[in-house]
Amino acid sequence: MTPRAAAVQKWVVPLAVVAAWEGFGRAGFAPRYLSYPSDILAALWSVTVDGELGTATLASLYRVIGGFVIGTAAGMLAGLGAGLARGVRNFFDPLVSFLFAVPKIAFLPVFLLLFGIGHMSKIAIVGFSCFFPVFIASRHAVLSVDKLLVWAARNMGTPPRTLFLRVVIPAAAPQLFAGVRVSLAHAFVVLFAAELIGSHAGLSQIIADGDNAAQFDLMFAGILAFAALGFASDRILMAVRKRLLRGQTLGTEEQVVP
Amino acid sequence: MTARLGRIVAEWYSIPLLLAVWQLAVSSGLIESRLLPSVASVWDTLVAEIADGVLVYHASVTIGRALLGYALAALAGVPFAALMARSPLCSNLFEPIFFFGYPIPKIALFPVFTYIFGFGTPSKVAFTFLECLYPIVVTSYLGFRGIETRLVWAAQNFGASRMTVLRRVVLPAALPSVFSGLRIALPVSIIVVVLTEMIGDSIGLGYYITVWGTRFTFQNVYAAIVVIGIIGFALDQALLRLRRAVVPWQKDPAR
Repeated sequence: MTPRAAAVQKWVVPLAVVAAWEGFGRAGFAPRYLSYPSDILAALWSVTVDGELGTATLASLYRVIGGFVIGTAAGMLAGLGAGLARGVRNFFDPLVSFLFAVPKIAFLPVFLLLFGIGHMSKIAIVGFSCFFPVFIASRHAVLSVDKLLVWAARNMGTPPRTLFLRVVIPAAAPQLFAGVRVSLAHAFVVLFAAELIGSHAGLSQIIADGDNAAQFDLMFAGILAFAALGFASDRILMAVRKRLLRGQTLGTEEQVVP
Repeated sequence: MTARLGRIVAEWYSIPLLLAVWQLAVSSGLIESRLLPSVASVWDTLVAEIADGVLVYHASVTIGRALLGYALAALAGVPFAALMARSPLCSNLFEPIFFFGYPIPKIALFPVFTYIFGFGTPSKVAFTFLECLYPIVVTSYLGFRGIETRLVWAAQNFGASRMTVLRRVVLPAALPSVFSGLRIALPVSIIVVVLTEMIGDSIGLGYYITVWGTRFTFQNVYAAIVVIGIIGFALDQALLRLRRAVVPWQKDPAR
């Protein structure tokens, strides 16, 4: 197959879906709650112009970034510690293996009471959820660093600090990023649920408004904006990763977990 | 004997320690017991609600939904991944959907699912299916595609038929990746079901948590969290056992 044909084929399904959606929607064959793309874009434009989208996006971004940064930093610190020291590992392992399978959103009622329904409770629950995947990935990353590298460096008299910064961290970096990427995905899922359940605010406010008022174009505009935000942040993270891990990335992009 | 006991203590002390700190903080009045119920009261609630059958009922609803969506995703996803790896046309058509769709937070689509499938079980199962499909398809696809061609060539050289190649070469080579995908998707299924139940339902553990959370009766919330933790742990162990039976040559990653 020529590369050209392959490039064309990649667009077939997405374009066909959008075209069918638009066609059936306009003709009135599709249920009204599905709306249709041109209407959705119009709604998106109108909420952008009147500033509602900007405010909501900023609120959501503030929460998701706050929680993500705190949770990732804590998870990486604990995970690196657990990878390096048996004592730390023994402390965290049982707790994490029990809590990992629990949807962290289940703690939302507790967080709401502790931190109120404003920004803080969302940041806290997002941070709490981000901790776990980063912890597990970092712990595993450090433990699976090639022992030969560490021994070689030690043999040449590398002080522990240099050993950590110049050998362990670079060798573990691809897996560290894998954990961070998972936690970023978690952050958006948890944020959405927390906003929807806890208090209607941020981008999910737009989605819920459209849903409640049966303005389905508005609902989809919110969904589109939320999806775009999640997608864009993933791309940014991947770009950062590519810069930081030059030459180490081959065949590692796919270590993704939702 | 003492050495083994010492190791068990060293590896598991943190859970009892945390529980003890929790209990101490509550009984000393440091934290209001309304906010953080004592360990004993959570335990009492857990036992009572299980004996009563309430938690068992809600847990069975949640497990049923999660496993149904998960099983459907596995049944559809693995063959689909194989097809995508086999046919360039299929991979060109569907790769963008899976690889570009992966980082998109699909949870935002849940309101639409409730319109299409209704509020109860079907929308939860359908959404779980979607969320589990992504890791299963992507991971298995990479597994099927990463099979060394010389293995297939060698088999063909020995005169193996297409079915034999599929059964004896392709499947065994791809199964470790398939199981990785299945293992990633398993907690996802439970998380998604509980989450969507919290957004809106009248049965299931997510509903249970929301109801007792809004009544500020947190011993029930914690009891449900304990049940979810046990379910997740048990299902993961069951999957690992299945994997050890089916793919004995794959070693446990990162335990």
